[in-house]
Amino acid sequence: MNNSTSLITIFIGMVLINNMVLAKFLGLCPFFGVSKKLSNAISMGIAVTLVMLLASLATSVIYNYILVPFNVEFMNIIIYIVVIASLVQIVEITIRRTNILLYNALGIYLPLITTNCAVLGITIINASAGYSILQSIVSATGAGVGFTLVLIIMSGIRERLEVAEIPKSMRGLPVAFITAAFLALAFMGFGGLL
Amino acid sequence: MEKENNTDRKSAGSKILASKIYPLVFLVVIVLISVSLVMVIGNMTQAKIAGQRDAEILKQLNIIFPEMTDFKYLDQYYEIYAGNDVAGFAFTVTGKGYGGDINMLAGIDTNYNVKALTILSNTETPGLGTRIEESAFTDQFKGLGLQDISLSKDGGKIDAITGATISSKAVTDALRGQLEEIIEIIKNGN
Amino acid sequence: MNQLKETTTGKKFWVEFAKGIIITNPVFVLVLGLCPTLAVTSSIDNALGMGAGVIFVLLGSNIIISLIRKITPAMVRIPVFIVVIATFVTILSLVFEAYIPPLYESLGIYLALIVVNCIILGRAEAFAQKSSVLYSIADALGIGIGFTISLLIVSFFREILGTGSLSVFGFTLFSIPVLSETPMAFFIMPPGAFLVLGLLLALFRWLGVLKNE
Repeated sequence: MNNSTSLITIFIGMVLINNMVLAKFLGLCPFFGVSKKLSNAISMGIAVTLVMLLASLATSVIYNYILVPFNVEFMNIIIYIVVIASLVQIVEITIRRTNILLYNALGIYLPLITTNCAVLGITIINASAGYSILQSIVSATGAGVGFTLVLIIMSGIRERLEVAEIPKSMRGLPVAFITAAFLALAFMGFGGLL
Repeated sequence: MEKENNTDRKSAGSKILASKIYPLVFLVVIVLISVSLVMVIGNMTQAKIAGQRDAEILKQLNIIFPEMTDFKYLDQYYEIYAGNDVAGFAFTVTGKGYGGDINMLAGIDTNYNVKALTILSNTETPGLGTRIEESAFTDQFKGLGLQDISLSKDGGKIDAITGATISSKAVTDALRGQLEEIIEIIKNGN
Repeated sequence: MNQLKETTTGKKFWVEFAKGIIITNPVFVLVLGLCPTLAVTSSIDNALGMGAGVIFVLLGSNIIISLIRKITPAMVRIPVFIVVIATFVTILSLVFEAYIPPLYESLGIYLALIVVNCIILGRAEAFAQKSSVLYSIADALGIGIGFTISLLIVSFFREILGTGSLSVFGFTLFSIPVLSETPMAFFIMPPGAFLVLGLLLALFRWLGVLKNE
């Protein structure tokens, strides 16, 4: 389809500028829920990246070879959500049967991912940008890396915040939101990069 | 599983069979109903959605060419008439921005200088890329000829929006490319 | 006797309705549906559009899920809920695209993402699949309106600070002299969303409306 946007531009854009969490507000539940510990943040990041990658591959094949030729792009929401839900199931079963160590590390995060808006979000972003299959894969990887990066940064900050002296009504979520605001502000600086 | 007793089956044998098949059948039926419903509504709204775009273009053409009395769509561009004279031309451009397509409408006068550029739709980053819609950006194009339409860092006369270079460049480059093509077509046509 | 039953039904309807607005307000109390709360609150118009969309989908999915609750096999209930919700979201998105294109454009991908809004699947699972149609309607309206009010509160602050004025569907309600000339655009950008929601949560806790952690 369109090859005018280079793969590098898509990747860097997704990681830093159109960051899933800080610019698109996607995947906030795990961002605020899981980001309290660094090790959890890394596991969650990897699980989400994996599912995003597979979901983008599957949905962009469907989009480019079924929905567009038959002129039924408007069916994408239903089809995508069914694909993602099935995919998460398949990944969970496969990991459980083949690698029990990996399953112990990632398993509990997988069911949460079905309703993680970042996964459906990236597939819809790919579709609305009219990305080819290769471009979709690159953009999904970028989105996953960006998500993991922000999750790790946030968990580092929150480990520090645990021991900080914070006014009572600011503790927990409010201060996490305000921290996210400053992170988002910092990431806006990357806007001039491209 | 607690809802299995609702299925009200007679014998134990068929109950086990039904309890395995029924959920699947139920899911398939739900999916079929939903897909057909969406197909019907989709087909009903498609024509209306296409019509919206035409109505929007007509509205914008009237803004760019207030003197317009009639226009003709010639395959790739609109020829604008004021009475019997050709007042200018207009065409749609699609740029590849940051978050997806940027749809624009450009009007040019008979000397092929830009009269106006309007952003019809975009999905750029709110507060940054979406500022390409603002007149502070689009007004820069007014009166420019083909050779001046590029970002100032590329030697043109358009200042990119701070923090939204990609979006600004997408608009500028797409317009220049399309304008070049349209001029070619118009000249060959005459 | 009959009248007594009627009044209790009526009363319970309003209880379910009011619950969603205040006690279990989805955004400020349950902290669900954050993605649209942050993404579309850059203007009052967008907040109203998203609120209306969520009310429509919530109402539709709650009614259908409540209607089919007795014949839905427990094993496949989540996939069924998701398909029902996705159907309503697709219908909504097509209707918006056909009849209110400017709103459709400005809501962008967040319209489609109503599918994964935890509030809607949450109400299906926690309420509609166990309750009668009438109460499910009350629940949908209460939660939906509660959600819309939350969106409006956030967008009220963001639009005023970020643009210096407040306008609804093209009519400017008021505009603050100095601020509207040099608005703090920060507030309609993504970081402003996080900051406003964080400060509002803290404010409500400080005022005692919400519990401290």
